[in-house]
Amino acid sequence: MRILVVEDDEIAAEYVRKGLMEAGHVVDLAGDGELGLEMAKAADYDALVLDRMLPKRDGLSMLAAMREDGDATPVLILSALGEVDHRIEGLRAGGDDYLAKPYSFAELLARVEAIGRRSDPTAAVTKLKVGDLEMDLLARTVTRADENILLQPREFRLLECLMRNAGRVVTRTMLLEKVWDYHFDPQTNVIDVHISRLRSKIDKEFDTQLLHTVRGAGYRLQT
Amino acid sequence: MIDRLSRIYRSTVFRLSLIAAALFVASSFIVLGYIYYATVTTRLNEIDDGLEAELEEIEDLFSRGGANAVNQLAINRILSPSSPNLYLFQNGNSPATSNLEGDPIPESPKGPNETIQFVFEVRDTKTGMGSGEFHRARGRYQVLAPTTVIFVGRDVELIVTAAERVQRALLIAMLMAATLGIVSGAYVSGRFARRIDRFNRLATDIQGGDFKRRAPVTNSGDELDDLAQHLNGMLDHIDRLMSAMRYAGDSIAHDLRSPLTRLRTSLESTATQVKDPQAREALFDAADNATELLGTFESVLRIARLEAGDRRELLVNIDPQPVIDDLAELYEPSCEDARLGFISEIEAGHMIAADRGLLSQAVSNLLENAIKYTPKGGNIRLTLRKNRAGRVEINVSDDGPGIPTEQRERVKERFVRLEQSRSLPGTGLGLSLVQAVADLHRAEFSLSKSDIAKTGLKATLRFPRVRK
Repeated sequence: MRILVVEDDEIAAEYVRKGLMEAGHVVDLAGDGELGLEMAKAADYDALVLDRMLPKRDGLSMLAAMREDGDATPVLILSALGEVDHRIEGLRAGGDDYLAKPYSFAELLARVEAIGRRSDPTAAVTKLKVGDLEMDLLARTVTRADENILLQPREFRLLECLMRNAGRVVTRTMLLEKVWDYHFDPQTNVIDVHISRLRSKIDKEFDTQLLHTVRGAGYRLQT
Repeated sequence: MIDRLSRIYRSTVFRLSLIAAALFVASSFIVLGYIYYATVTTRLNEIDDGLEAELEEIEDLFSRGGANAVNQLAINRILSPSSPNLYLFQNGNSPATSNLEGDPIPESPKGPNETIQFVFEVRDTKTGMGSGEFHRARGRYQVLAPTTVIFVGRDVELIVTAAERVQRALLIAMLMAATLGIVSGAYVSGRFARRIDRFNRLATDIQGGDFKRRAPVTNSGDELDDLAQHLNGMLDHIDRLMSAMRYAGDSIAHDLRSPLTRLRTSLESTATQVKDPQAREALFDAADNATELLGTFESVLRIARLEAGDRRELLVNIDPQPVIDDLAELYEPSCEDARLGFISEIEAGHMIAADRGLLSQAVSNLLENAIKYTPKGGNIRLTLRKNRAGRVEINVSDDGPGIPTEQRERVKERFVRLEQSRSLPGTGLGLSLVQAVADLHRAEFSLSKSDIAKTGLKATLRFPRVRK
């Protein structure tokens, strides 16, 4: 993906650039809101990483200007202001996701890849398929190698979230937000417990593992 | 209504007017007593003195002229229109000389020189017979010889009636004054209480974090207006300080967390590149520690922000049942993994003013604590219900080791961890956050003895009734 990072902290910006490049993306940097807006207009990016506190023009006003122009590029807002109301403010201004500082790079990468143009985890599909694991979103059924798997409603949503992001890392925080709608991090491994239940249902009886744990990041569903 | 009456009753102004009314009633009693004494008692004493003088004169006459002289005197006095007295003269078996119907003496157990009060039938002056009208009177008798007795009395009906009338009038006036005093006291105190009420509501709202509220100024320029203006000045100042603090807090968060984040990012990115599994593991561990450090920092900021209380506007009226159901579902597998029994009793249909996210976080902290401190084989119970007083309660009970009574308040403070739990992971911020969330919701957060076992802890969030 081609990604624009708008961040005034040069060292942080450089880290993000380096990390995203290592993950195989093309990255441009902008140090302030005015420059960021110009660059976003000039080129066609697949995703934007946008800091809220910027010199010259703050992140939200830059985002609002972009959206007024009809620019629908997915935007991940970064901010030290991690409180819920700020988050809602960011999403209302047209952000696609919101990540509070301090974040781990793995979290940032997972989220940018999830919102990026080349993926569309909210696309209107009726069937999801990863290897021999299939999910019918209308009938609310899951099969693996044509064998029916019975899931609790929440397990279904958990698996759906992983399948929509198949091949990409989904972090615990993302799962908490998207499956449970919680915006805080519990102190315990509560998500791991749910994942291990899900794993015992979809992987235990089969030779190939689909649900992988990614150390320091989260989970990935992959053949 | 009863609530309002009891409020009025408790108000200072009303109490003062009640005391004033009571003092007025008491002093009226003293005045009334004096008037009674000055008019009636003195008058009656004069009458008694007159009766005594008359008896002395008769006694004197008896010693000089005997029974006949006394009888003659009695007849003269009875016939004289200027004599106000009543007479009864009894000498042996001869018929009594008297202008009294009936005989008051035998009814009286009192001896000579004692005043007898009695009622007699007034004689009609024309017929000399009873008129059917009864008057109150008082009199005395003197035994002149073993079978000779003279009784002298006086009709006091007029005096006593007049005294009674004055008394009744004064009593009614006093009652009226007392009633008016209480009513006007209630009115004045009601007005005053309403103004004080506005100040109280203001203080409650400000404690809950609404720093934009100001005291009402009525422009009447009275003491309460002065107070309101001073309060408003103070609130403006606090508001400025709060904004400055918040700004500083945000800036610190922005400036200080960035380098910590970079530290973690570089640890993580190096970890993913390193081939040596041992070094890789060490780097991930270091990154985890950095994460923990940042998490603690985040929690402190979060609590500070909650305590600064700029988020009351987030509260909406909700039925907490789905929120608590979700948490039960989230933590039930964790309990099972920790070999703990988990029961939830969640009632639907109650209403509280809450923020779903904050409420979830607080109850999640309580559940995580219960899971962390309850040993294998124990039990945890999550309940949502309305208590007897009609307030919505969320309880998390366990049968773990519990917290000693004297430590229960202390563990809510920041970074406080009990000796027994030092070995377990944690920052000592969990319950502080619950307290901050409770304060924001104006809910009570209390820790008490478990209600499911002899040992253990019960954590309760008790919410205020919802204002409709």
